[in-house]
Amino acid sequence: MAGLNDIIKKQQEALHQPEDEKVEEVEQLVGFIVGEEEFAVPILAIQEIIKPIEWTRVPFVPDYVLGVFNLRGNVLPLIDLRKKFGAPSAEIDENTRFIVMKIKGEDVAFVIDRLTSAIRIPKKSILPPPETYTNEDDIIEGVGRLDDGRIITILKVDNLIRREEIVPDKD
Amino acid sequence: MDDLRELLEDFLIEAFEMIEEMDQDLVELENNPDDLELLNKIFRVAHTIKGSGSFLNFDKLTHLTHHMEAVLDKARKGELKITPEIMDVILESVDAMKAILEYIRDNGDDSSPDVEIDSIVKKLDAIVNGNVSNSSSEKENEEESKTVGGMSLEDINPDNLDELDLSSLSPEELDQVLDKLVEDMNTSPEEEGIEEVNEISEENEEVQKEETLSEPKKEENNVPAKKETSTQMTKENQKKELQKKIVSTKEQTIRVDVKRLDQLMNLIGELVLAKNRLIKIYNDVEERYEGEKFLEELNQVVSSISIVTTDLQIAVMKTRMLPIGKVFNKFPRLVRDLARELGKKVRLIIEGEDTELDKSIIEEIGDPLVHMIRNAIDHGIEPPEDRIKAGKPEEGTIWLKAYNEGNMIVIEIKDDGRGMDPEILKQKAIEKGIITPQEAENMSDKEAFMLIFKPGFSTAAKITNVSGRGVGMDVVKTNIEKLNGIIEVDSIPGKGSTFKLKIPLTLAIIQALLVASQEDLFAVPLSNVIETVRIVEEDIYTIEGRSVLKLRDEVLPLVNMADIFNIEKILMPEKYLYVVILGLGATKIGLIVDRFIGQEEIVIKSLGEFLKGLPGIAGATIRGDGRVTLIVDVASLMNLAKETHNKKLVTDSINEAKKKKEKPSDYNVLIVDDSAMDRKIMHQALDELGVNVIEAKDGMEALNLLKQNDIDAMLIDIEMPRMDGYTLAQEIRKYNKYRKLPLIAVTSRATKADRVRGVEVGMDEYITKPYTKEYLQNVIRRNLKL
Repeated sequence: MAGLNDIIKKQQEALHQPEDEKVEEVEQLVGFIVGEEEFAVPILAIQEIIKPIEWTRVPFVPDYVLGVFNLRGNVLPLIDLRKKFGAPSAEIDENTRFIVMKIKGEDVAFVIDRLTSAIRIPKKSILPPPETYTNEDDIIEGVGRLDDGRIITILKVDNLIRREEIVPDKD
Repeated sequence: MDDLRELLEDFLIEAFEMIEEMDQDLVELENNPDDLELLNKIFRVAHTIKGSGSFLNFDKLTHLTHHMEAVLDKARKGELKITPEIMDVILESVDAMKAILEYIRDNGDDSSPDVEIDSIVKKLDAIVNGNVSNSSSEKENEEESKTVGGMSLEDINPDNLDELDLSSLSPEELDQVLDKLVEDMNTSPEEEGIEEVNEISEENEEVQKEETLSEPKKEENNVPAKKETSTQMTKENQKKELQKKIVSTKEQTIRVDVKRLDQLMNLIGELVLAKNRLIKIYNDVEERYEGEKFLEELNQVVSSISIVTTDLQIAVMKTRMLPIGKVFNKFPRLVRDLARELGKKVRLIIEGEDTELDKSIIEEIGDPLVHMIRNAIDHGIEPPEDRIKAGKPEEGTIWLKAYNEGNMIVIEIKDDGRGMDPEILKQKAIEKGIITPQEAENMSDKEAFMLIFKPGFSTAAKITNVSGRGVGMDVVKTNIEKLNGIIEVDSIPGKGSTFKLKIPLTLAIIQALLVASQEDLFAVPLSNVIETVRIVEEDIYTIEGRSVLKLRDEVLPLVNMADIFNIEKILMPEKYLYVVILGLGATKIGLIVDRFIGQEEIVIKSLGEFLKGLPGIAGATIRGDGRVTLIVDVASLMNLAKETHNKKLVTDSINEAKKKKEKPSDYNVLIVDDSAMDRKIMHQALDELGVNVIEAKDGMEALNLLKQNDIDAMLIDIEMPRMDGYTLAQEIRKYNKYRKLPLIAVTSRATKADRVRGVEVGMDEYITKPYTKEYLQNVIRRNLKL
């Protein structure tokens, strides 16, 4: 009987806990590894996460635009985040994933090395990017320190790619 | 007469749309009286209606809009502030405009005895002159002695409507009652009145519905709830709704939002893709299970789906089709006016105005045609005296013809005027610095005619305001190219000229030629492919440092597609080169590709916001196997090709992939065998040849080594763990770049079936164990061409 009580207690705690956190304004993120670093994006920005599929190269684009691929009848651009962040490129393996995110109303897929975990982090634990970071394109929202000591870089999804960087202006 | 009718219909559709927008804009303007952009917009609408109205001789309408325009003009110049009183008058005149337009729609003229505009005009004038009259002088109601449903029409008002037995009224009578109520609504100054009319409108809609269903009416139930919802805007909309409801019963057709049709077209596109995929799968299955019974059944299903899909596609396409007569109809008037202005006599003969084209194309084709017809009258047809001197009839003739030709529609503009002399055109072009004398020398007559489409080219000795600014024909070309169209020109000096515009029927689903450049596939719109040819390197000439192909009597610039798109060259050049001859407008080029895949129906998809507009790429399509293939934008590709053509010789480009391999030690041979013993025997034999040897223990390892190294030939054992030799060969042949890699099976399996299997999976040679060292060396030498 004691066991059952414990469980009920735990359940109640679990029920109450999120509410407390809500007051604190919690940011829900999905963490992933690109190169040596762990990054995260807001969970709501993510449309879906898929295993790598074949893509088609596209001419006249920066090297970080790998090309386009077919996701259920839609043609999506594919961006290599390693190349985008200047990390050495790696082979696609069984951990590689494509994260599909909505940017300015358009679905765009990003290649990442592997997923880590879903992250809940209080907004106050997210600090602005340190001066030492190269944040020229304004792609970093902030830096979060997790309870287990991990440090994650939170990305500004909307700034990850820009049309003017990809397609040269005419003339 | 029919032409006029259509013109009138167009005018009415346009006018009603504009007025509806204007209603909203006016209301918005009342809130932001200083919004100059809005004022300008409204002014333009009034102006347009006035212009079109006067063109169609609707004097009453013109009279009214003229005065209204005067008020708006003053407001737009900032000399008048739009007060609600003034807005009332403006709205009143808009309503009168609407009433006149409705009368025109039903009766074909604007006498509209029921609409009285003098008082409105007076008010408008008063505003322009600075004394704002009170809008208290309410509009008189004209229908005086009429009675409906036992009541005098004059006496009906929103308050006593309940007394009227609506269900006993004929549709005409109901119409009158509605008009009366609407009229009341528009003239009643207080908010309350508007609200009440609103209720009435609701009621009446209901009544009408009930009438058609012949059910007992119960309108009172609905009345009280709607009190708060009305605004001035809904007043206008309500009226429109009412009118629509009444009119709709008479109409045979419905107007559908183009967006919905586009959506339908998209869905059909998906279906076409799925169909292509199904056909591909069927072909694979057919190969594998030849002779099986179920194939017949599957075949039937696949065929019927593909037929239905095609029919469906055509049916949906047809909903977007409009007769080209819509564009042609404005030309008789244009020709008459122009001819008079220029003192020429011209007859226009129109044929094939029923030919149908996609709506989006109809919209684009109007301007180019206007330019071309103007050109024909201005430059083509001679003045009457000249014609008589030349022994031609005094009156010149222009033929405007449209007809279908395969998947294209052809619009032909032909005149019997003075024609064009290719030599004179060339000379002009040289004078203007458009071409060099050398270029002129190599130019065919047809190419010379196309000079008129060059920017900055004009043949008219004196520049008229009709044509001759050297802009028009250039624009024509650009517009036609935008539609993936081709222009052809033919002319005989003294006899006349013929212009042919060839335009694809629709833009969303096209026929394409699929080609491979190195390992990348591209879809080229078939409408721009003139032909495909196979040539050898010796057919390529170099003229002034540029590569050209002599094809029959033409000399075409030749460019390698891989150079245009900066594709890395990994394929060894072959004996034959494959060339796609692309035509766009008048320009033709030869495009070297590495392989022709075939012709396919493809659905054009956008590359999305981030990638659209890439040079040379029009979009993408999804093929039967689910992969994405890029679609070439021929116009843009042509420009890129011209740049590449000036920079790079094709002969250099072809040989880029040819690696300098002279000595045996430049070659790498990969041995795949699970037996260390066998590997050693082969290794020793090859060492004597002096080539480099790499060893793999099974198919999987071999495949990885192949990708990492530059392998020139492979010796493959058949029986191996993990991946056997057959599977390995099959895997290798899937890659385009290994298509020519010599694969030599070395095995003790010697039956005929084994050999056949070997050939099937793509083995080039078959050596059975045991073999002599010399034999193996010979085979390798032969395959490496040592």
